[in-house]
Amino acid sequence: MSPSGKPAPMPREGAAAEAGPDPAADPRTNIYLPRLAVVDRVVDEIADVRTLFWHFEDPEAQRAFRQFRPGQFAQVTVFGTGEFPASLPASPTEAETFFTVRQVGSCTAALHRLRAGDRFGVRGPYGNGFRMDDFAGQNLVFVAGGIGLIPLRSCILYALAHRSQYGRILVFYGAKTPRELMYRENLRSWEEAAGIECHLTVDQPGEGWTGHVGVVGGLFKKPGVQVPIENTTAFVCGPPVMFRFVIRDLTGMGLSPQRIYSTLERYMKCGVGKCGHCCIGVAYVCLDGPVFTCEQIQKLGEDI
Amino acid sequence: MRARILASHQIGRILERLRRDYEVFAPFQGRGRDTFFDRVTAENQDQVQLHLPNPYYPPKRYVLPHLERLMTMRREGAEWRIEPAPDVQPRAIFGIRSCDVAGIRHLDRFYLGRQFLDPYYARRRRGLFLVNVVCTDLERDINEECFCVCADTGPAAAEGFDLQLMDLGGELLVAAGSAAGEAFLADPMFQRGTPEHLERRREILERTRRSFRATTGWFSATVRYITRGDVLDATWTEVGHRCLECGGCTYVCPACTCFTVSDRPTASGEIERVRLWDACALNGFTRMAGGFNPRRAVHDRRNRRFFRKLAHYFIQRELSMACVGCGRCDAVCHGEVGMPSVIEMIRRATSKAISAPAAPAAAAAAQPEPGRKT
Repeated sequence: MSPSGKPAPMPREGAAAEAGPDPAADPRTNIYLPRLAVVDRVVDEIADVRTLFWHFEDPEAQRAFRQFRPGQFAQVTVFGTGEFPASLPASPTEAETFFTVRQVGSCTAALHRLRAGDRFGVRGPYGNGFRMDDFAGQNLVFVAGGIGLIPLRSCILYALAHRSQYGRILVFYGAKTPRELMYRENLRSWEEAAGIECHLTVDQPGEGWTGHVGVVGGLFKKPGVQVPIENTTAFVCGPPVMFRFVIRDLTGMGLSPQRIYSTLERYMKCGVGKCGHCCIGVAYVCLDGPVFTCEQIQKLGEDI
Repeated sequence: MRARILASHQIGRILERLRRDYEVFAPFQGRGRDTFFDRVTAENQDQVQLHLPNPYYPPKRYVLPHLERLMTMRREGAEWRIEPAPDVQPRAIFGIRSCDVAGIRHLDRFYLGRQFLDPYYARRRRGLFLVNVVCTDLERDINEECFCVCADTGPAAAEGFDLQLMDLGGELLVAAGSAAGEAFLADPMFQRGTPEHLERRREILERTRRSFRATTGWFSATVRYITRGDVLDATWTEVGHRCLECGGCTYVCPACTCFTVSDRPTASGEIERVRLWDACALNGFTRMAGGFNPRRAVHDRRNRRFFRKLAHYFIQRELSMACVGCGRCDAVCHGEVGMPSVIEMIRRATSKAISAPAAPAAAAAAQPEPGRKT
């Protein structure tokens, strides 16, 4: 994998007490400084998962942030608790920006306690994201399990907003129970809309579920489903077990690991390649990722 | 590079002069082997010495403090105010060794290079004046563990300092390594040197270079082995068994960069965000919220440390190596898995694997998970 960005510029020789503004005092050069954000509204998605719609207080910060790419992430500060990385499930083509976060630790629990009007901090966007232009003219196959739909949602919405640029668009999504299917309104519209083939499955049916039952990979063989392989890029995101099996299924059907994308998540403190926590093998997930091809993941030099 | 001469007993004049413009730090002798960096004042200035064992706690903390306040966050009604911590005053380090100069050079590449510039590191670094002392005293300066000769960082730093002092016996050769250093040399206390001084410098360096005890000649071979993933898994398992997971190696390392960030309330009712050194040896380093830890096994974490420091990919990425040959990790390690020890383990394991008569079978027996590399 080629290192991201340009080679390190040569720091100047030696040191001198050079005059100049303090780079930490200026919000434009202090990369660690969060910007103030306001919660607009809070929506419960599924158990323990909540969506917070928000905007920056500073309209300039808002405009700059809205240039983000699908698949990028942001560092979220909840005052008094700490900072954590969160993916951006909104597409830049949508009007609103939001986070969808599962409560797993102290910071996410504190984020869940925020209500409309509350302030918190955001900095970013960070990471490589999906380069959606590279997939122009291709069929796009999205495979998600559980909350793995969060990072892929941005991509799907982006592709639909630029529908004419892509071939077929297929979404395969599975959850444990019908109750745990995320973004239900989106799912409903994708199921009905022309131009997108959306297939859902659950592990345990119930509550009047009439759809498919079984693992998400099982959807590939469902009658009436034809997964394109030629001229196709796949995006896979979900729990490790699901990930392994879906990769096996897709490569078994003839899709090259170079054409399968995923996003990784790691413990992160800075988001800008300095703190060292997210490094896997030769890659910093925050700089070189979080989006990697399957082939890159296999060559990182460390198990994921 | 301009160089001048100063009588050895006059180092106090350099310190005086530095103290006018900088907060000055220098190594001091404690009890026994113990040495430590401390602030130079009018009272303790006469205790500053040229030759003494390099302190274990590295001068890295003047550019990357062990614990540093980044910002404070204060509630004002419904609003929050975020304020970056104020600027620091210019500092000088007197008596920094060549390995530690190379360490700061590496940190420069890491924190100031690539896509993002670390503003806190940048402001500490730009005010920092480095007075390097060349290690020439075979008894006091050079320890059992030193291997700067192999890491190509010493005993005399080639770059990265503002001034470099070398003891020629009674006289100091003072060389400038930057514009600020050149300006410093304009002071009338310095005398012009002669070709004889340069000849003495060459002789002393030659003698010093040949006097290192642990030469660790396999260093470059280890870089190759680690880069290619040729180190046996059994070796990493053994390194993992010996590691006590104390994190000491990272805390004394002049080239380690990892930090963690923590928010905590202060006495004045604000929240302060601090960053503090972190260590890949510790179990929680990669643990995510919810408990999943992708790098749980201790040998994976040890492997990680050496991979991050020596893999060619990272040497290219920063254009310098994250090991400067100071040997501190070996001196503090209770399990004898500091850098020189691990290089030796890799050398022995590899030569055994090569010289074993039934090499494939022996390698398979020694390797619990054949096929899995690095």
